[in-house]
Amino acid sequence: MTQSIDVAAQEPGNVLTTLDELLRRPDAGFARARAGVPIGAWTLRVVVGALGCCALYGAGGGFFAGGAQIGIAAVKAPLIVAASALLCLPSLYVFGLLAGAPLTRARFVVTLAGFIGMLALVLVGLLPIEWLFSVSTQSLAFVVWLHLALWGIAILFGARFLRAALPEVPSSALLLWLAVFCVVCFQVTTVMRPTLWREPHAPVIAHGKLFFLDHFGRALR
Amino acid sequence: MTAMLSRLLHRRDELLSHILGPRPLGRTLFELTLLMAISAAGYGAVLGMWHGTRLAAYDAIKLPVVLIATSSFTVLFSWVAALALSVPLRFAQVAVLTFLALATASVVLVSLAPIAWFFTVCAPEPSTATRTTHNALYLMHTGFVAACGLAGTRALWHGMNRLGQPRSVVRRVYLLWVLGYAIVGGEVAWALRPFVGSVSPQFPVVFLREDALKGNVYEFIGRDIVPYLWSRQTP
Repeated sequence: MTQSIDVAAQEPGNVLTTLDELLRRPDAGFARARAGVPIGAWTLRVVVGALGCCALYGAGGGFFAGGAQIGIAAVKAPLIVAASALLCLPSLYVFGLLAGAPLTRARFVVTLAGFIGMLALVLVGLLPIEWLFSVSTQSLAFVVWLHLALWGIAILFGARFLRAALPEVPSSALLLWLAVFCVVCFQVTTVMRPTLWREPHAPVIAHGKLFFLDHFGRALR
Repeated sequence: MTAMLSRLLHRRDELLSHILGPRPLGRTLFELTLLMAISAAGYGAVLGMWHGTRLAAYDAIKLPVVLIATSSFTVLFSWVAALALSVPLRFAQVAVLTFLALATASVVLVSLAPIAWFFTVCAPEPSTATRTTHNALYLMHTGFVAACGLAGTRALWHGMNRLGQPRSVVRRVYLLWVLGYAIVGGEVAWALRPFVGSVSPQFPVVFLREDALKGNVYEFIGRDIVPYLWSRQTP
């Protein structure tokens, strides 16, 4: 990540321009953090934008069932990503520090917000494809596979961002953390079930505890 | 303790220089032990909570005990092995390096505790019908502990590489230390079981099983696990 004082000076003013900047110059947030520019407002805009993108992606997924499920999935998707990030936040911090990355609070916040932002941007970029397949199939197993594939693509871009953000951390440690993050996302999705398909009059959040492998296994059957 | 946590995470080079220097290490050893015990207790509480607060409390005590006991049993061998292989370390330095690795592993473990906690609260209650859940939780905890152990030994490796000895010698000492620790740690953990707790009513929640010191983990592997795996392979 190259340092640039210009980037620090020209801070985008709204959510859309901030997300645009994250896509075009992913190092801009780091340059600001290094230059000592406060990153609170930037982080807030990235997080709000990311949650908005996740909501759009969730709504796209909700088109599989249609009706109220579009709104329900739009609420659940950002909750899934936010809860997973919160649960995995301490481990990323400790992994990063122990791997030798001189993580300041600002750099860590930019890293995490940028990772979530990149993930969400790729997801929203895949939204038209997701919508097309969601409205054109009646197979739950197919859409589950579709979402796993799309999630995998988004994670690849998120991993690329993390790799650039934390060059000191060995790839194996980052891969391990990403694997844990994915598994946590799957379990949070299971807790929030049903997201894609809900039986008529079924509760918005199902009762009972379930392991994600069982949940995904049932959905894929 | 927070000062030691900060040194461990942010100023590890300075900490290693202090450990490998000529100064007394009593306070450093105490602070590392305290950090390790509190972090391990935090993860231990999560480790046992699937079976309720009693096993959680037991594990919060037992996990630090496993680490401290294992270090106590191996530190003498580690020191002798280092000297025998021409690595001139003081006994206190060996002890502090061991606890540095353990404290590192424990801090990584406690950073994973929110994830382990989440999976545990999402798991169905323990019963004979939830054997798969038990196995999945067991696998998760084993994976976390193994990964954190590797992180701890990595810290040890970094420390040992600053000794100024040939890399091949350092590698031999490092492997001996890790091997000794793994062999003894496996047995200590086995003796202090249960940690996750069993789904079988035959094994209720206890602090220590009655047969804790009757047989060891390697006898168990040789007597039960290997013949079982062997019988599955033979048509």
